[in-house]
Amino acid sequence: MSIVEEVAPSASPVPETGERVLRVNDLVVEFPRPDRSGFRAVNGVDIELRRGETLGIVGESGSGKTMIALSLLGIVPLPGKIIEGTISLRGRRIDNLPPREIRKVRGNDIGIVFQDPMTGLNPVRTVGSQLMESALRHNNLSRREAEERAFKALDDVGIPAARERLKAYPHELSGGLRQRVMIALALINHPSVIVADEPTTALDATIQAQILDLFRLRLARSTMILITHDLGVAAEICDRIAVMYAGRIVETGTIEDVLSNPRHPYTVGLLAAVPKFDVRRPKLVPIPGQPPTADDVVRGCAFSPRCSFATPECEERPLLEDRGGRPVACWHPRGSGV
Amino acid sequence: MAEPSGGVHVTDVTKNSVGAKSEPNELVQPDIAGGSRGDEIIIPVYWNIARTLGKRLVELAFLLFVISTVLFFALRLTGDPAAVLAGETGDAEQLALIRAQYGLDKPIIIQYLIFLGKVAVLDFGTSLANAQDALGLVLERLPTSFTLVIIAFSANLIVAIPLGAWLGGRPDQRLRKGASTMVFIAQGIPGYITGLILIQIFAVELRWLPSIGNQGPLSWLMPAFTLASFQAPQVIRVISANVAEAMREDYIRTARANGAGFQTLLWRHALKNAMLGATALIGTQVAFLLSGSIITEVIFAWPGLGRLLVTSVQTLDFPVVQAAVFMISIFVYTAITLTDIVFLFIDPRLRRQRA
Repeated sequence: MSIVEEVAPSASPVPETGERVLRVNDLVVEFPRPDRSGFRAVNGVDIELRRGETLGIVGESGSGKTMIALSLLGIVPLPGKIIEGTISLRGRRIDNLPPREIRKVRGNDIGIVFQDPMTGLNPVRTVGSQLMESALRHNNLSRREAEERAFKALDDVGIPAARERLKAYPHELSGGLRQRVMIALALINHPSVIVADEPTTALDATIQAQILDLFRLRLARSTMILITHDLGVAAEICDRIAVMYAGRIVETGTIEDVLSNPRHPYTVGLLAAVPKFDVRRPKLVPIPGQPPTADDVVRGCAFSPRCSFATPECEERPLLEDRGGRPVACWHPRGSGV
Repeated sequence: MAEPSGGVHVTDVTKNSVGAKSEPNELVQPDIAGGSRGDEIIIPVYWNIARTLGKRLVELAFLLFVISTVLFFALRLTGDPAAVLAGETGDAEQLALIRAQYGLDKPIIIQYLIFLGKVAVLDFGTSLANAQDALGLVLERLPTSFTLVIIAFSANLIVAIPLGAWLGGRPDQRLRKGASTMVFIAQGIPGYITGLILIQIFAVELRWLPSIGNQGPLSWLMPAFTLASFQAPQVIRVISANVAEAMREDYIRTARANGAGFQTLLWRHALKNAMLGATALIGTQVAFLLSGSIITEVIFAWPGLGRLLVTSVQTLDFPVVQAAVFMISIFVYTAITLTDIVFLFIDPRLRRQRA
C-alpha cells in the first residue's frame, strides 16, 4: 500500500460529507506572565476536519497558528499550556491523555511536518535510522521490515535513489530533499491526520514549488491541516481556509469563497498585500500598524486598531458567526453576503 | 562535505510533479548539495581514519624535532651537566675528563647534531644518576603510569557521561539543580587536597588502603580516584550543558512529535550531539593524564612517569628528561589523534564522504 495516493492534478474534490476526523473545540493555549493574566496564544479556536479534506490556517507570525499544531500533538512548549477546550481525533479525546497514551498518537495518528528541514533532523544520525525509529516505535516490526518501510516512505515522497539515501546523514542532503525526508517521517505510520506547519517557508523558491507539487498532487486526498502565512500556498493546496488573527479565527470558508469574496477587513488587507503579476502596475498595499504582541492589552476586536472600518461598536468583540452565508468575526463585514 | 564534481547532477525532481503553476525550466535546476551523485565514489570511514593518521604522523615527526631542539638547548641553559656529574668535590681536572667522556667539550652545534642523530634512533644515552639506559628507565615506568591513567579515565567516563546527561536532561528540577551545585563545588577542589584527605581517612585513620607506592589493586584506588575527582566534574559540566542545549534543538521536537519519550530523546538523540563538544575536553584530559599527573604521583609516591620526570629535572639528569619528554610528546599526540578519530565516528559531518 502506498502512503500517498496518486491522483490526477485536476482532481480536488471537497468531500462535504466525509467522516469527521478531527474536532477542536474552544481551544485556549495560555502562556503565564508575571504579575498579570496569562497571554493567550490561542484564544478559543474551533476546528473541524473531515476525511480527505485539507484545511489551511492562515495568519501572520505570532497569530497562534503553530500553537494550534503543537496543541494537537500535546507538545506546546513550556510554560505554555492548554487551559481550555477539547481536541478529539476520530471521536476520542486526545487533549487529556496520559503521557504514555499521547505518545502513541504522535507520529502515528497525527504526523507533523515542521518548517525548517535544516534543523529538524538529528545531524548525527542517518535518515534511515530516524525513520526506522518512528516505524519501530508504533508498529510491531522487525528491523528488516522497518527498513523496508523507511525505504518506501522515502520513495513515496519522490526521493531518488531512496535505498542508498537511507544511509545518508541529513547534511548530505539538500534543503528540498531534507524537507521530503521530514514529510516521509510524518507519513511513515500512515497517520489519519497530517499537520504541515509552514512546510515550504524555509526553502528556496524553486524547491518550494517542488514541495508544493508534492502536497498538491500526491497528498491531495490526505486529511491535512496546512499552516501557512502564504495565501498563494493555501490557494494551491487547501479546500477550506481559516484566517487567524491574534489567537482567534476571524473568517473561514472554502478557499474559493474566501479568496474571491473576503469578508473580514483583515482578510481583505492580506489579499491586497499579496503581489499580483497580472496587474500592469502592481501596487502592494500593506496593512497599517502591527498585530498585538504578548504585552498588549486587547479589548474588543483585536484588529480594530488597524482597521479603517472600525467604529465604537468594535470595542465589543464580534463572535465568529454566520454573517451572510459564511462565518466572519466582524461587525462590518466587507464584500457581499451570499 | 559532499563536493559537487564532474558536472553530473541528478536533480530531485519527480517527473510527474511538473505542475501547472511551476515553470518546467525551474524544475530542472540542479539540486547541487543533495543531488550531485553518480560519478562520485563513497569513501569508507577507514579512509578518513587513514588520512587523519597520515596527517598526524607528519605533524608528530616535525613536533618531535622541534621538541628535541628546544630540550637540548634549554637543558644546556639550566646548568652545566659536567658540574653535576662531577659532584661537589669535582676539580677542574675531573671536569675536563667528564667533558671529554660525554662529548661535552665539542662545539655546541656539533653536540646538537650528534644529539639529533642519536634521538632519531631513540638513543637518549644513559642516565647521569645511575648509568642506566635513559629510555629504558622511562619505559620501565609506563605500566605503572598507564594503570592509573586507564583506571582514572574509565572511572571518569563511566560516572561523568551518564551523570552529565542526567543533569542536563531536565536542568530545572530542584534535585538536579542541587546536584549541579555539588559538581560545581567538586570542580573547585584541587587534586592534592582530595589526595591528602583520602590518605588521612583511608590510610591513616581507617588503615584500609596503602598510602604510598604501587602495591597492587588496593593501592590504585586512591590515586585513581584523586585523578578522576578533578577531571570528572569538568566532563559532567560540559556534557550537562551540551545536553541541556541539545534538548532545545528542533530535531528533539521532531523526535518528540513522532512519539519519542523523554529517555529516548535524552539518550538516543541529545547525548550523541552533546558528546561532540565533550570529546575535545576528554581528549585533552587523557593527554594530561598521560603526561604524568605529576602532583598526584608525588603525593602517593607513585613510581610513575611524572615522578621520574620531577626527580630527573631536580638532579639535572638530562638524558632521562629528554627521553621522558620525548615519550610524553608521543603519547599526548597519540591521545589527540585518537580524539580526532573518535570525532570521525561521532560526527558524520567531519568525514569526507565522496571523492
